[in-house]
Amino acid sequence: MITLTHFLVVSAFIFCIGLYAVLAKKNAIMILVGIELMINAAILNFVAFGKYDKINYGGQIFALFAIVLAAAAVAVGLAIILNVYRYYKTVNPDQIRELKD
Amino acid sequence: MDFLLNISPICTAFLTVVIPLLAFLYQAIVGKKDQSGLVGTLAIIFSFVLSLLTFLDVWNAMPLSSEITWFKIGNTTFTVGILLNNLSSLMLLLVSTIAVPVHIYSKSYMHGDAGIHRYWMYLSLFCFAMLGLVIMNNLLLMYVFWELVGFASYLLIGFWYTKDAAVQANKKAFLVNRIGDLGFLIGIAIVYSQFGTLNLVTLFGNDGLIANTSVENGLWISPHNSMDAIWLTVTGISFFLGAMAKSAQFPLHVWLPDAMEGPTSVSSLIHAATMVAAGVFLMSTLFPLFNDTVLLIIAIIGTTTATIAAYFALAQYDIKKILAFSTISQLGYMMVGIGIGTWDAAMFHLLTHAFFKCLLFLCAGAVIHEMAHLKAHSKQDFDPQDLRNMGGLRHYMPQTFILMTIASLALAGFPLTSGYLSKDSIIISAFEWASAKGPMFQIVPITLIIVSIMTAFYIGRLLFKAFFSELRIKSLLGSSVDLNESPKLMLWPMYFLGICCVFPLFSFNPISYHDAWVMDGLLVQYPYETNHTAHLVIPMILTVGALSVWVLAWRWYAQGQYPLHANSLANRISLNQGYLNIFNEKIIVNSVLNLSKLSYWIDRHIVDGFIHIFINFIQQIALLSHWLDKNIVDGLVNTFGKIALLLGNFARSTQNGKLQTYLYSVFLLVIVGLVYLLLR
Repeated sequence: MITLTHFLVVSAFIFCIGLYAVLAKKNAIMILVGIELMINAAILNFVAFGKYDKINYGGQIFALFAIVLAAAAVAVGLAIILNVYRYYKTVNPDQIRELKD
Repeated sequence: MDFLLNISPICTAFLTVVIPLLAFLYQAIVGKKDQSGLVGTLAIIFSFVLSLLTFLDVWNAMPLSSEITWFKIGNTTFTVGILLNNLSSLMLLLVSTIAVPVHIYSKSYMHGDAGIHRYWMYLSLFCFAMLGLVIMNNLLLMYVFWELVGFASYLLIGFWYTKDAAVQANKKAFLVNRIGDLGFLIGIAIVYSQFGTLNLVTLFGNDGLIANTSVENGLWISPHNSMDAIWLTVTGISFFLGAMAKSAQFPLHVWLPDAMEGPTSVSSLIHAATMVAAGVFLMSTLFPLFNDTVLLIIAIIGTTTATIAAYFALAQYDIKKILAFSTISQLGYMMVGIGIGTWDAAMFHLLTHAFFKCLLFLCAGAVIHEMAHLKAHSKQDFDPQDLRNMGGLRHYMPQTFILMTIASLALAGFPLTSGYLSKDSIIISAFEWASAKGPMFQIVPITLIIVSIMTAFYIGRLLFKAFFSELRIKSLLGSSVDLNESPKLMLWPMYFLGICCVFPLFSFNPISYHDAWVMDGLLVQYPYETNHTAHLVIPMILTVGALSVWVLAWRWYAQGQYPLHANSLANRISLNQGYLNIFNEKIIVNSVLNLSKLSYWIDRHIVDGFIHIFINFIQQIALLSHWLDKNIVDGLVNTFGKIALLLGNFARSTQNGKLQTYLYSVFLLVIVGLVYLLLR
């Protein structure tokens, strides 16, 4: 019997993997992948909690919106990465230190 | 001329003293630029003229004194002043009279010496000191000049300071004189505490303090104070100790033979009128202060000195050493004169001795000068002062020979010379004194007669060895003997002194000293009777004795029939001055050295040891506090600093501009927030 807890645990694992990727990867593309993983973990939670709203299916609908928004965000993110690459000739976040004073 | 005669004697005496001082200052300022010594010579001639004026005014007139306030301590006023009486004016004249020929002689004798400008400077200082000493009216000032005389003689004895012997000699003279100075100082201290003044007029004048002093019931009572009678003796002995060192009395005579290292002209000045005369002068000035015990001690020491010095003179080879010992011997006579109460006779002998001893030294200087000249010319190595190298000099230096003979006759006490008068005066007085005292005291006059005959012998030996037979170093020189008479500048002063060696200058009666003007002027009342037989017999004994030993000396030394073994014990003791110097070296000098070594050791190991322990202790404390400061106090501060640094570094490390680090921080904050929410 698969319970809500199982979903939440899987979702937490995926979130952690995404968070790790965001924090540790040395390639902007992989960071973007990490972000996608984190978004998807959240979407999984929406879907899992959707069992408590069997009238409107608010969870599923919100998940659909989120997927669309995530796709859009990835597009924007890729565009930014492309520009960053053009400007700095690298996509390693360690070598981009313009945020420093 | 009226102007000159109207100047007060005080003024002329003052100028007499000051002019040599000015010459000294001039020479000191000008230094090497003036080598002629003209200023010093002129100054002493002026001094001589002025002292003559002073003497003529003061002699046999009322004593004069003048003084000004020097300084005040409490209620006591110290004065500085001049005392002119027969004694001091006579000494003033004597010193300047002797100094004039010595200065003139030096111009030639010291000619060409590298340090001659120093010579003139020291000579002026020496004359100033001695002239000042004789006219001071205050014991303290006398002491000051006494020290100055000692200091100037120190400079002059060590004039050739590159010679090691000269340096040793002047050191010795200075140290031995220190002993005497100590005695003088103690004497002054006792006199001051007993009488409350050091003024000679107050002390010794008619109806002065000394005249009002008496010894009663073992107490020495003066108007000012009274103390135990022993102190009177102590005072006398203290002053005599001062005179012993200055006037070279046994056993403090050791400096005088060594002082021959100075230039001969200086020796003549020291021996005739300046240095050694100071002791006799002091004794004559202080004569009323001495009691019978002190006088007896003075007489005994004087006799001993006369005998021992005459004995030492017998076998010396150095021409100057013989003369030095003869001076010591004659000073012994003068001390006997003081000791038997006839200080006028002592002063008379001092006066006559000054002239013939000065002449003897100047003649010896001329001989040495010529011998050194010969040595330089022949390029041979021999000692120009050694009698064994001389001989036959009368052929080369006839005038010096004649003058030396006159002086030797005077020293030996032959009739018609000045020495005859003065030496007889002492010996006859000693005989009269001994007759009054008792048979034991006859030892003194008998010893003096023997010494007088010894004196005749050694001066005869000197004369015959140096001037008769053949020149002993002729074989060294080859055919040409380049010996000449001294220059005129040296002969004139010698002629002047030669004239002063005969009787008319002192007494028109050549055989009786009672007619001498010096004795009349000083006029001491003798406490014993005149013995007319002694006046006849003693001079005869002396003359016959002197003549016979001259004949003996002639046979031994001029004809070469010397009967004794030259290396016999008696000769060796005499030549080595009784081994006194070795004794002093072994016993006194070594014990002082050992004492100083011991004190050095104590200082080094005990006193310094304590200090070292203390230092170590302090060092350890310092090290401990250093450690505490370094590790505890500084450690605390440093720890705070390090913590701040660590915190700062940590905070800084987050601001490194990397996107992911910022994300870490955010994540961390979220975690912290979550933990906070969970634990709340």
